[in-house]
Amino acid sequence: MQRHVITALFIVLYACSGLFILSAPCTGEPAAKNVPHRIISLGPAITEALYFLGVEDRVVGVTTYCQKPPEAAKKEKIGTIIEINTEKIINLRPDLVIGTGLTNSKDIKKLKNLGINVVTFDISKDFDRLCQIFLDLGKLVGKEEQARTMIAESRKKIVKTQKKVENLPRKKVFVQLGSKPLFAVTRDYFINDLIEFAGGVNIFKDAKSGLISREEVVRRNPDILIITTMGIAGEKEQKSWQQYKTINAVKNKHIYLVDSDKICSPTPVSFVELLEEIVKILHPEAFEG
Amino acid sequence: MKKTILNWPLSMLLSVGFLLAASLYSLGSGSSDITLKDVIPTLLKGSGTPEFSILFDIRIPRILLGFAVGGSLSLAGVILQGMFRNPLVEPYTLGISGGAALGVALCIILGLHRVFPDLAMPLFGFIGAFAVALPISLINIRKGMVKTEGLLLTGVMISYISSSIVTLILAISSTEDLQGIIFWIMGSLEEPSWLLISIVLFISLICLVLSYIFSLDLNALALGEEEAIHLGVNVERAKKILFLIASVLTGVSVSIAGIIGFVGLVVPHFVRMLAGYDHRVLLVMSFITGAGFLIFCDTLARTIISPVELPVGVITGILGGSLFVYALGRRFLK
Repeated sequence: MQRHVITALFIVLYACSGLFILSAPCTGEPAAKNVPHRIISLGPAITEALYFLGVEDRVVGVTTYCQKPPEAAKKEKIGTIIEINTEKIINLRPDLVIGTGLTNSKDIKKLKNLGINVVTFDISKDFDRLCQIFLDLGKLVGKEEQARTMIAESRKKIVKTQKKVENLPRKKVFVQLGSKPLFAVTRDYFINDLIEFAGGVNIFKDAKSGLISREEVVRRNPDILIITTMGIAGEKEQKSWQQYKTINAVKNKHIYLVDSDKICSPTPVSFVELLEEIVKILHPEAFEG
Repeated sequence: MKKTILNWPLSMLLSVGFLLAASLYSLGSGSSDITLKDVIPTLLKGSGTPEFSILFDIRIPRILLGFAVGGSLSLAGVILQGMFRNPLVEPYTLGISGGAALGVALCIILGLHRVFPDLAMPLFGFIGAFAVALPISLINIRKGMVKTEGLLLTGVMISYISSSIVTLILAISSTEDLQGIIFWIMGSLEEPSWLLISIVLFISLICLVLSYIFSLDLNALALGEEEAIHLGVNVERAKKILFLIASVLTGVSVSIAGIIGFVGLVVPHFVRMLAGYDHRVLLVMSFITGAGFLIFCDTLARTIISPVELPVGVITGILGGSLFVYALGRRFLK
């Protein structure tokens, strides 16, 4: 069924599409003193960010996808990322619901109609956006200072990393998000920033859509091939690339698997952790000295 | 006429009973533990409590929309099956839903649903449904004659074309747009706007009355078009109007609730097994049974693996399909 393939693809894409852009909240934001005490998060990235900001005691509901940090999985579940249960949400009497670009707009509308404060974050495309979101989230829950500090620290670390790799040769990188259909990271994903900060060149930065052909991968000849593990599919994918001997990455055995949970947890803090991993892949020499 | 299992008043009573039971079951179940006994006290307490808003703003709208959409789809199914004398026709066969899906997909990638958030998607769905239904009829109406087989074949082809175009749109759209289209294709009775719910209710009931006027013509058509003409039925006019009614019913349901399969195919067959082939009974009873069936399926979808909500089409497909195969098997064994 085409439909199921597309749905599956779309969940993977979502997971990897990074954080969200704050669309202007329709309801007034709470004043500094009046912080929300019963928060419901409708996305794993948001849940993780709330934990980083140290407001986990105020989170009363999360989705079944919220597995990071492990404690988050113990919270009350209100549905999946795309199918939320409005009845359950109302029952939890939240004073703030934080939605994502994937939350069904009809559900959001319904909650707003019932007078619940709903703020939605849309899908973000780069690191700056990611920080902006984190900051907005911090403001929302009355932890602005903490958010600013964490962002500043992350930026510092990134600058340090960039200094390390700036004089090293830039390698051509191909990051694969999906296997059937083959899906690449384009400019529209924060992973693109990840590659560039780590001193690489994303070979599909210019692609309009991530749907690309294997032929094109062979033609653009990446030096490094990074596959996000989609369950078992990652291993299979690694094998299937072996038959394309002309690709530098295959010739020199530079095919790597990165845990998709990692690559899909977009908060400034985890971004930095991930960046270090990517730098090790691209420039192992930077760490041998 | 074939022998029926029950006489029609009894089977009508049965279907009304089923509808009421399904509605009450739906009203009393959900992820929060508000049961039927709590309904009256909650309503007496008045608005303001979370319980009241769960009942009044979440469960009741879904029941009403389930009633309208389930009824519409079954009614459209009965009309089309009777008109084409083909047991496999359902509202979606004619490509009307494919057209609606295409309309919605276009609306989403053009970003129009952000400009007019409430009305754009249903409106485009409806326009899409009609942009497909009209060519189908026009291609097949020659000299005032409607070619029935042609209508069916063109419908099927157009439905394939639209679904391919929707897949094309999905392939090239961005993640945010992708989810909008997917939600819609999966079908759901969640609808925040009371206005839209009332519109669907109103249209479905109007179409029920209109189609009832043609119930005798449908009975005549069941004997074949030649016979119907000899019986003095204005066959061409009846076919045009019935096709229009079925298109309106399907277009409206699909543009509000997305694509919910199987209701329009299975329910009419069930009702025929129970109440026979007289369209005077068949039309009304299919509407009521379809309404009850969809409300029941939606309640299962909401509660079966709570808090996760399943798409209602999953339940209608599995439940409707298996019940139907079972019933058909029993029938042949006799």
